[in-house]
Amino acid sequence: MSHQQALAPPADQVRGRRAHPLARYIAARLGISVLLLWGITLVTFILTNLVPADPLAAVLGDQAAADPVIVAQYRKQMGLNAPLPLQYWHYLVRLLHGNLGTSAQTRNPVAADLATVFPATAELSCFVLVASVLLGVGLGLYAALRHRRLADQVIRFASVTGISMPTFWLALLAFYVFFYKLRWLPGSGRLDPTLTPPPHVTGFYTIDAALAGQWSVLGNALGHLVLPGLVLTLYMMGLLVRFTRSAILDVLNEPYVTAARAKGLGPGRIIVGYVLRGALLPILTMVGLAFGSLLSGAVLTEQVFAWNGLGQYAFLAATKLDLQAIMGVAIVVGAVYIVINFIVDLLTGVIDPRVRRG
Amino acid sequence: MMHHARTRAEAAWPGRRTLGLAGLTIAAVALAACGSVAAGSGSGTGGGSASTTSSNTLVIDSTFDLKTADPARSYEFTGELLAHNIYEHATTFEGTDLTKPVPQLTNFAWSNGDETLTLTLDGTHRFADGTPVTAADIAFSYQRVQGIQGSPSFLLDGVTVKEVNATTVTLTTKAPDLALPAILANPSLGIVEKKLVLAHGGSTTPQDGAEKFLNTESAGSAAYQIDSLSITSQIVLKRNPYYAGPKPKWDKIVIQNVQPETQKLNVQTGQAQIALDISPQEAKSLNGGGTKVISGISGFTVYSFFGADKAHGKAAADPNFVAAVRHAINYQDLLAIAGTGSVQAGGVVPVQFAGSLKSDPSDTYDPALAKQLLAKSSYKGEPVTYLYASDVTVQGLQLQLVAQAIQADLAKAGINLKLEPQPAATYYSTLRSDTAQAALAYWGPDFPDASNYLAFTPGQGVAVRANWTPASATGKLVAPYVTAAENAPQATRDQAYQALQAEMNKVGPIIPLLQPAQSVVTTTNVSNVVPSPMWLLDLDSIQ
Repeated sequence: MSHQQALAPPADQVRGRRAHPLARYIAARLGISVLLLWGITLVTFILTNLVPADPLAAVLGDQAAADPVIVAQYRKQMGLNAPLPLQYWHYLVRLLHGNLGTSAQTRNPVAADLATVFPATAELSCFVLVASVLLGVGLGLYAALRHRRLADQVIRFASVTGISMPTFWLALLAFYVFFYKLRWLPGSGRLDPTLTPPPHVTGFYTIDAALAGQWSVLGNALGHLVLPGLVLTLYMMGLLVRFTRSAILDVLNEPYVTAARAKGLGPGRIIVGYVLRGALLPILTMVGLAFGSLLSGAVLTEQVFAWNGLGQYAFLAATKLDLQAIMGVAIVVGAVYIVINFIVDLLTGVIDPRVRRG
Repeated sequence: MMHHARTRAEAAWPGRRTLGLAGLTIAAVALAACGSVAAGSGSGTGGGSASTTSSNTLVIDSTFDLKTADPARSYEFTGELLAHNIYEHATTFEGTDLTKPVPQLTNFAWSNGDETLTLTLDGTHRFADGTPVTAADIAFSYQRVQGIQGSPSFLLDGVTVKEVNATTVTLTTKAPDLALPAILANPSLGIVEKKLVLAHGGSTTPQDGAEKFLNTESAGSAAYQIDSLSITSQIVLKRNPYYAGPKPKWDKIVIQNVQPETQKLNVQTGQAQIALDISPQEAKSLNGGGTKVISGISGFTVYSFFGADKAHGKAAADPNFVAAVRHAINYQDLLAIAGTGSVQAGGVVPVQFAGSLKSDPSDTYDPALAKQLLAKSSYKGEPVTYLYASDVTVQGLQLQLVAQAIQADLAKAGINLKLEPQPAATYYSTLRSDTAQAALAYWGPDFPDASNYLAFTPGQGVAVRANWTPASATGKLVAPYVTAAENAPQATRDQAYQALQAEMNKVGPIIPLLQPAQSVVTTTNVSNVVPSPMWLLDLDSIQ
């Protein structure tokens, strides 16, 4: 018997480990995520190269663009002389080393730029997500339970209004009313211009200010979150209300809810233990998608509120034809969706055994 | 079925308890929001007032196009504002007078048949760390701009820079270049501290590595220095304690990247004291109350061109066609679109510069003459494709509106202009491909001297876009005027450039349309804000 054979576990244990449904489920999802990420790099690269524009036009002024020496130097620097497949290969190799290229707009590594702007968007997104889930799921549940009564109609009307109002218009309106007219809330930016941001730890001004004990900065940062947060919350909340209401109504019709009532269970237990649990999966999927879309950057809202986040960075990159930055943003946004979907899939698998067995 | 479901739900869940739970949830969120509001409202709305009183901070709203704070690489408007105010220059311009460069760091004198410009340090100037500015710093700064081979490098093409002694630098050219004193005021030619820049990877080659350092700390001797900088969001400036000039009023200046719509509200609430990008039309309503509007003429030349060669211009290449267009355009209507403060220059050189043409008979609105000239041309009513950038504004003026107005004017004369809008991202590439049949474009000055506009003459940068070559029939007509302007002595230089522009208007394919206004909106508690077509603002003079 060899040493390896001596250490090898019994065959049934190996089979048992290999066959563990949750592990297989995770491995499959992980594999798909990696493939998806690679697909995103390929599609993004092809699309950015299909744009009928010379990247140098965004980098050089008129006079410099007319100088062949300068043009040649920039083409070399930006790696534009190599054939496209080779450019893509170089890009992939760099990407595997965590290098997303250099932004033509800021001249910084794209990864460093994204590390600066992403926390701003993430901070706003988390704020919006918490508010949206609390309000959206709460009101959706209440509307479903008061089906076709006045409260249901009012909540449905409010949610449709939230969804259908253009975000940029709502942002301008909120800015005008609460900042300019009423002067209840601070306006643009993440902090008042006279304040210095707290020492960088997480990039979330609220958390960093709290960690540094800078309470006035914390208060100011929270205040600046309110207006853009309100605008985005109205939209997200509207979506979640409609989705939650619909999911709860579906579950309320299920025989097991009737059975629970017949067993004499209290309404609280029925709602929490049966109705909400039954509706959890579709709501979780929706929350995941909503969070993904928030983290991808709310371009228009960030523009109106001068919120220096991913959306504003993406907007500038697109208008300045900053191809490396555009690709960096696309990959990050793609990765965000993949990671969130991956987490949602995992949670789904944990919550519902039928999914992982299937 | 639905009715049944509702009944079950109602029976299973008493409404009052639901209401209570939902209310509790909402109350919790509202409490959190109110906490935020309470925390934010005081400092938020008070931010503007606090900034004007206790911390002596000036807040300026601007739409950023910043790429770098390194003067030797910077060639954007925000970069010019920054470089002008944190770096001193050999020469400068005073206030709105852009006709005569004056000494800033150095006195200057011509010698050797106007081929050598001698710069001599004028008094003692110090960098922000207290080190005196020397001739070595000046020579290094210029050689660095040349060596890096970036966007501003062309400014010193053909110039030999030599440090003569601790206080003197000479700039030598193979032929007289009387524009040099004006060129030296360009923000990109700011004087950096050689020792400091070298210590942080600086050099006079394309391998220079000081940009990162210059994006975080400045190495200049002007009134302000960088305190902190984010390329995409905010620049904070602090005073240079060793500045040789009068002490500026503001301890700290914050320049923040804000969209024009938001700038308007910020300046009205006092959150910002100065807004740089509010269009002249929007600014009209802001003159009065707590805000005021300061209007000037921008340095931009908005122009149209028609392909001068048959291959690209087709029927539009006919000089009679271009002459007809010149008289078909209602310039006053264009100025109405551009707003108060905009002007029609007689030629491509802005009216504030020496050598500009105030008006010219070739570019006047005369619909009858336009039709007459069109009849003489080979144009038969075919569509003429007119390229423009649909998402670009020049000092708040939407180029789209100008293109539409021109289309309407030309239609009245019988010309079928087919608009071809493109986003800026592709417009510049199309323009630089030199294939456009006709286009609407704009030009900002590199330096306030008529010679900068030689780019519009046959075979040069702008003219190449229109395929207007020196070998063409009209190119040959203009050539003697170009030579005369290039070689004119100081005494007759202005007249030579005026004659050149008049001839270009007579036979050329480029039509100067207008110079947009430059409006700056400020709160009433700041004064002495002087808009500059070259570098937006002189921050040290603002009171």
